[in-house]
Amino acid sequence: MQQLQPSPLLPQQSPETATNQPDSAGGAAEAPPKQVARAMERLNQAARVIADIRLGADRLLEAMFIAAQPHQSDKPLQIFFKEDASIRQHLRDLRSIGKKLEESGVLTESLRSRSNSWGLHMPLVCPDGAVVAYAWKRQLAGQAGASAVDRTRLALKAFTDQKRRFFPHLDDGLKVEPASKKLCASKLLPEHGPDELSECKTLSDMQSRLEKLVPDMKVSTYGRLNWLERANSLPVSASEDSTEASKPIFQSSSKLRSGFQQTEVDDDKVAVIELYFPSVFRAVVSVNPAGSVDPDAVAFFSPDEGGSYIHARGFSVHHVFRRITEHASTALQYFLGLDNETALYSLLQWICSYETLFSKPCSKCGKLLAMDKKSALVLPPVHRVYRELPTVVTKTREQNLDMEAYHVGCFPDCS
Amino acid sequence: MPIKWVLHWQPNQGSTVSTQILNEVTQCLESINGVREGRWKATLNYYKPIVRDQAAAYELPRDFLGISLAEQPSKYYFIISTQRIILEADASIQMIMEKLQSYKSRVTLYFEGSQYQLGDFRLRVGKVVPINSENLRGIVMEVEYLPLSSMEKAKQVMYEFLEICQEALSKRSLPGYFMHIAPNFGEFGLSDNYSPQHTAVQYAFIVAHLIASVQAMRN
Repeated sequence: MQQLQPSPLLPQQSPETATNQPDSAGGAAEAPPKQVARAMERLNQAARVIADIRLGADRLLEAMFIAAQPHQSDKPLQIFFKEDASIRQHLRDLRSIGKKLEESGVLTESLRSRSNSWGLHMPLVCPDGAVVAYAWKRQLAGQAGASAVDRTRLALKAFTDQKRRFFPHLDDGLKVEPASKKLCASKLLPEHGPDELSECKTLSDMQSRLEKLVPDMKVSTYGRLNWLERANSLPVSASEDSTEASKPIFQSSSKLRSGFQQTEVDDDKVAVIELYFPSVFRAVVSVNPAGSVDPDAVAFFSPDEGGSYIHARGFSVHHVFRRITEHASTALQYFLGLDNETALYSLLQWICSYETLFSKPCSKCGKLLAMDKKSALVLPPVHRVYRELPTVVTKTREQNLDMEAYHVGCFPDCS
Repeated sequence: MPIKWVLHWQPNQGSTVSTQILNEVTQCLESINGVREGRWKATLNYYKPIVRDQAAAYELPRDFLGISLAEQPSKYYFIISTQRIILEADASIQMIMEKLQSYKSRVTLYFEGSQYQLGDFRLRVGKVVPINSENLRGIVMEVEYLPLSSMEKAKQVMYEFLEICQEALSKRSLPGYFMHIAPNFGEFGLSDNYSPQHTAVQYAFIVAHLIASVQAMRN
């Protein structure tokens, strides 16, 4: 191993006066690996402090929510003070960690060009939050170039995988044969669409239309805080008549708060849409900004799940609903890519096709359950076709919402 | 709560249950990617009334069962199958019965074994042994599908899952198969939403069936 060269951290230290032993001036003359380790440690600390701040923010929101109820003691106020002090302290800690990181060159690129640090570079925090820590192995200058190629290749692979997963329709331009089929889909909309889709511009239109189409389902809309309240009040373990119990619990508690009743949420404050199929599933769609018809996230849950993790970006504890949530995110991207204005309605319609999740067998293998080899799980058909979604409502209900269902492994063009 | 089917091992004509069959079954579950999670135990008691007047005893039901379930440690369930009665009580009722000297347990059966997780399914396989004995009287298997609690909606899923299990088991050429008795829960006043009472009723039916088949063999 080469001998220590003057540390890049103290530019005023001239090479002649450099010593080989680390002096007592903090981390100044430490060997680069130790600097890297220390920087990684500080980054971890920063991540922990940020997590603490997030928790504190949650508690503040909770306190505000409790304070909004009538007949409360000054307990929420005390919680406010406590959390305020604690978050301020965390922010101070974060600032000091940030300063140390800056000094050691982690948050800026100032040291990257220096070649006398054994080829090691301080971990770099990119603008999008990714941390890049260079491995020990890449210490020789000659390898620096090769590693850049490696990294680019890995990054390209990661992006391609993500793109294939979330934006499969963007590959269309590359394939010649299925292109004609996809063109038909986009042509379908203007030809048959305008009458029906133009009637579904507002959320209440969509809600009433869907409830007519799918009588077994209940569509509800909520403001963001209302939804948190509802999610927390969902019964977790089913009692004898839980499907009925969940509604009275919500309604009676909403009566206690004047002006907080679910039925009075105006369209322009609606941020969360819930589609509830009793005994089958519950889907949560969030729109952003509140009051618009632009969906931005969707998640599926078991009808018996309850708690604050039930929201459009949350994940069910059950594998089947986690899989559907992933598939739904891809479908959402597809609908948004096709036509922004009708995306929400298409998404909601498509979600309704999952009514048959536990009864409709796979269109390929004819069975309801199949073992997914990759994850070693037995699942029902979690895929519902979303391309070329028929938008004409004049057809019978069965035809319109009876999308083809497939198991994960049976899906025709699954990667 | 998630729906559950309780099945019991039905040996072929002329063969009996054995520990070896139980081992084969657990190995089979592991072969379809079941992950062992731990052990479980349930207890069943047949009660007989303690009365001074023997004649009075005949008026009281003979099939009075009490069951304690693994996932409800603080509860105790009473079943009188012939009258379609199921009752949930606190676990301390056993102590109360003992203090009152009203009923005595004449037969106690243990159901114990291992628990497995297979994705969204939870399986428990166990042997049926009387108290103070290692004589294997039967094998039971509980199959639970966690995402659903409506029996109607989950019927197809459970049926197909059992087909998958049976297919895996059939490769081992075991002398028997798992049988599911579907009691009429409506007669017990139970709804479509699954509950521990449903489990208790299924166990009562299984034990009745086991006893009946043992008696049939003796005759």
